[in-house]
Amino acid sequence: MRIRTALVMLLFLGLAGGSAAKDTTAVFKTAEAKHFTGTEGVELTPAFYDYFYAELRSELTKSKLASEVIGEGEAVDDADAAKSVVITGTVTEYKKGSAVKSALIGFGAGLRSLKMDADVVRRSDKQNLSVFHVHVKVDPRWNEKTMAKFAAQQIARDMKKEFAEKK
Amino acid sequence: MCITGRLAGNFVLATVLFAFHARAVADEPKPKPENIIGVHLTEPVAPQKFEHAPKFWVSDVTDRSGNPQPMLVLKSRGGIFLDRQPTIIVRESLEESLKSANLLAADANSADLTVRVYLFHFGLAEGSGLDFFGKVEYSAIVKNPKTGETAEVKATGTSIAKGAARKKNVQKNVQDDLEESLKDATRNFLRGQQLKEAVALLWKGGNEAQKPEANP
Repeated sequence: MRIRTALVMLLFLGLAGGSAAKDTTAVFKTAEAKHFTGTEGVELTPAFYDYFYAELRSELTKSKLASEVIGEGEAVDDADAAKSVVITGTVTEYKKGSAVKSALIGFGAGLRSLKMDADVVRRSDKQNLSVFHVHVKVDPRWNEKTMAKFAAQQIARDMKKEFAEKK
Repeated sequence: MCITGRLAGNFVLATVLFAFHARAVADEPKPKPENIIGVHLTEPVAPQKFEHAPKFWVSDVTDRSGNPQPMLVLKSRGGIFLDRQPTIIVRESLEESLKSANLLAADANSADLTVRVYLFHFGLAEGSGLDFFGKVEYSAIVKNPKTGETAEVKATGTSIAKGAARKKNVQKNVQDDLEESLKDATRNFLRGQQLKEAVALLWKGGNEAQKPEANP
């Protein structure tokens, strides 16, 4: 009896998973991520921006928000332009953090921090659809590229929340 | 006695240094059949539609990466090597894709536009350490052989593949990562706005040069 109940529950879980997967449909035809820029005083290497660009594209592909995630500067058909977006952004603040402070004080002191603003713009009329403010904090001993990973994940998550729910 | 002791000390130090150096040389990865990967386009990339559909010819691909070992992709874990030079891989990917859309000329003489590629990066770049970050970056000089006019087109392809613990999986993930970044770079070049503008500019220049001069 217990085995049968467990099997029925498993079947329901499987069906629920299947329907949830089907719910994820693309909101945009194409999404183009551009290389972000840094404001004056932000000391991040060009390799950071390269990696962040790759991560953002990877996260956008995973989120399935767009049918196609295109590279920077790729041409889009005029018919698809109204349903396409371009993501640009700026790193507004970067603090290296301090491993000593982090170890001695703790409670969030000395953490490495990154703030960036991401703009989602419609390709056809350049209308700003949304602005996302991202703030990431990581351990100062971690690689700066880890921050890029977290920031890209947060942007993709926020976009999904914003556009998939509006839809 | 003191001098003999110093000499003996120096000799021991030199022997230790030599041993370390010999070990480092022995650790240098070498290409073997089991650590060589083949990177190809899984399928040709469809280029964008051009107004006049010119015929291209890839005249040359030059390595400008400054990498002394361009075929060594990963140094750790016994090394991972490419089966061919990156320049050959890039040329092949471009020619395959152009051919699939009937945009590849039969030879250099019959081409409307020639493409000379300068390869700046092919392989893995520094990532977060948790994954593999593949990057292919090049710049192409598109030239109209009739007028001699040129235009520059840049292309970049990136890909992120998950890390792995087993050597076999590392090799597979790195191969997938490089193939994806090669495909991305080829697509970025062939479907880019820069190429569209370059073709429009060079085609216009070529047609104007061909027109006979009007007599007053």
